[in-house]
Amino acid sequence: MRLCLLLGIVSGILIGQGQNRFPLGEIPPGKILLVAQPHHDDHTTDYGMGGVIARFVEHGYKAYYIRASNDEKDGANGYPRNDIINLKETWNGIRILGMEDVISLNWRNDFMNPIPLNELREQLIFLIRKYRPDVVLGHNPWEHYQKNPDHRNVARALVEAYWLAGYDTVHPEHFKLGMKPHAAGHFYGKGRLDWGLGQISNVALELNDSQVRKKERAIAAHRNVYHNPGARRAMQARLAAMGMHVPELDAANDDDASDLILHWWMNWISRDIGGKAGVAYAEDLYYMDPQYHLPGLKAYIDANARKAPSE
Amino acid sequence: MIRRRFLQIAGAPLMGAAAGKTMLVVAADAGWLECAGGTIAKMTGEGAHAILVRVGNDEKESWGLTPEETALRNRKESEAAARLLGIQEVISFGYRSSELRDVPHTTIRDRLIFLIRHHRPAILMFPNPHAEHDRNLDRYYVGAAAEDAWHCARFQNFLPAPSHGGLAPHIVSEAYYYSSPVDPRRREPESSSTFVPQPIRVDIAELFARKLRAAQALRTVNRGTAMRLKQSLEAAGRRLPLLDTVNDRAVDKLVEENLRGLAAMCAAGSPYKLAEEFRYAGIEYGLPTKYLR
Repeated sequence: MRLCLLLGIVSGILIGQGQNRFPLGEIPPGKILLVAQPHHDDHTTDYGMGGVIARFVEHGYKAYYIRASNDEKDGANGYPRNDIINLKETWNGIRILGMEDVISLNWRNDFMNPIPLNELREQLIFLIRKYRPDVVLGHNPWEHYQKNPDHRNVARALVEAYWLAGYDTVHPEHFKLGMKPHAAGHFYGKGRLDWGLGQISNVALELNDSQVRKKERAIAAHRNVYHNPGARRAMQARLAAMGMHVPELDAANDDDASDLILHWWMNWISRDIGGKAGVAYAEDLYYMDPQYHLPGLKAYIDANARKAPSE
Repeated sequence: MIRRRFLQIAGAPLMGAAAGKTMLVVAADAGWLECAGGTIAKMTGEGAHAILVRVGNDEKESWGLTPEETALRNRKESEAAARLLGIQEVISFGYRSSELRDVPHTTIRDRLIFLIRHHRPAILMFPNPHAEHDRNLDRYYVGAAAEDAWHCARFQNFLPAPSHGGLAPHIVSEAYYYSSPVDPRRREPESSSTFVPQPIRVDIAELFARKLRAAQALRTVNRGTAMRLKQSLEAAGRRLPLLDTVNDRAVDKLVEENLRGLAAMCAAGSPYKLAEEFRYAGIEYGLPTKYLR
């Protein structure tokens, strides 16, 4: 009886854990990854995709970063200087992740609600046709309670550009430059899990120690925004008020402590999501496969598609 | 969980019989048919007078044709498909598909208010703007405008000029929100029927053959879908034997498989074999249950 009870409890716990887990995904076959986000640091924000980018690159992908805005609001240096500094630091960040290039579209930062979104979409369609990615990575346009208009709008433009770039009836003027329609196969969207209903993640990609470390270094490269020498003293004061202290923090200088706190924060998120996927580290995403828009055909394709004969 | 299942299944009997009613079906693109074609056929079969409003012109949905040729063919084929479902009239606004974000929300809304007041439907169908994870955002823009029109058509201070021409306010008593079944949360009721249109399933088994014939009439859209599917599979090193030669027979078969797959997805968890699913707002919507007794 006791054994049955124990087995019941254990299996209940395991089933419960299983229900909370994200399914683990694999890197799809391909060569080119195109990442489009509004801001300089979105390749590696806390709930972001820096680890996944690093994993794609380590898998053999060439990765490109589209920065849709000019980031003039981000930082304490005024509009034009913020733009220049943030672009330089974007380069520093993407190099750590192993990416190839930054394409800046320079739409005005935090003013993207009233912009003609079909014009932004046309730019993204053009770049998809130029770089011909196998995988497009951006923000999840269905994330709940996203307050930043840049994220909402770049995400909406990107999810349409992702499939419309494959249509020869869309922006045929591009073909004058020798381009051809290109439908990227795979779309991954990131979002936060903890804003309202957050986003529904349908896949997690596991990260190794190296990829997590690259993610942490890439975000720290954005010193204009994230380097905060005062953070150590502020945290020490809050801890002291509770009668606590962290020896590692006490031993660091202000500059090193800023990076250390960032490391703790980023590492915790990678571990937290990893725990929900049953692995040490992970990032969670909303994934659309090449036949996502044809849900009625999924079973038929799975049952009948064959490997194409190699040429 | 038990309560949610109950709501999903129990929703169907709440719907009103369609005989003698006018219904207005608002569409962003040709996708209206695979989402709602069986239910429309059921209602027209019961005696409803149905009108289809095509907001987008489907100019992108083809293979190897210009946008102009595509728009013309898709208009004719949509009209043919509508006739097969018993729809009596098709109104095409002609806005460029996949560019609907550039059309002001109020422009689409006010044209729909005009039609609601003129035709005075009892039933309104439109894309669900609250459905998520559908990458075709035209459906969101048109759905939002249609939902707004449904609400505003009843207020006399909207469309003041046509009001002077005799267009009186009108309340549409039933609304069906349709969407492609890609949203993982599409069957969550969220709240009671007083506040939120409820998930329902409609049995379309007897109407499936008619829906299929209508869907197969969308030849230009279907050929584009088949060619793009073939292309995307080839890009992944795969092939569907059915599409080795893309002819009318192969495309028709693909359409049938797609509709069967969708209908089975929508029926899953219900007593039906083939179904369509909606969010439904009927007489109980907006009224606390105690006032309906």
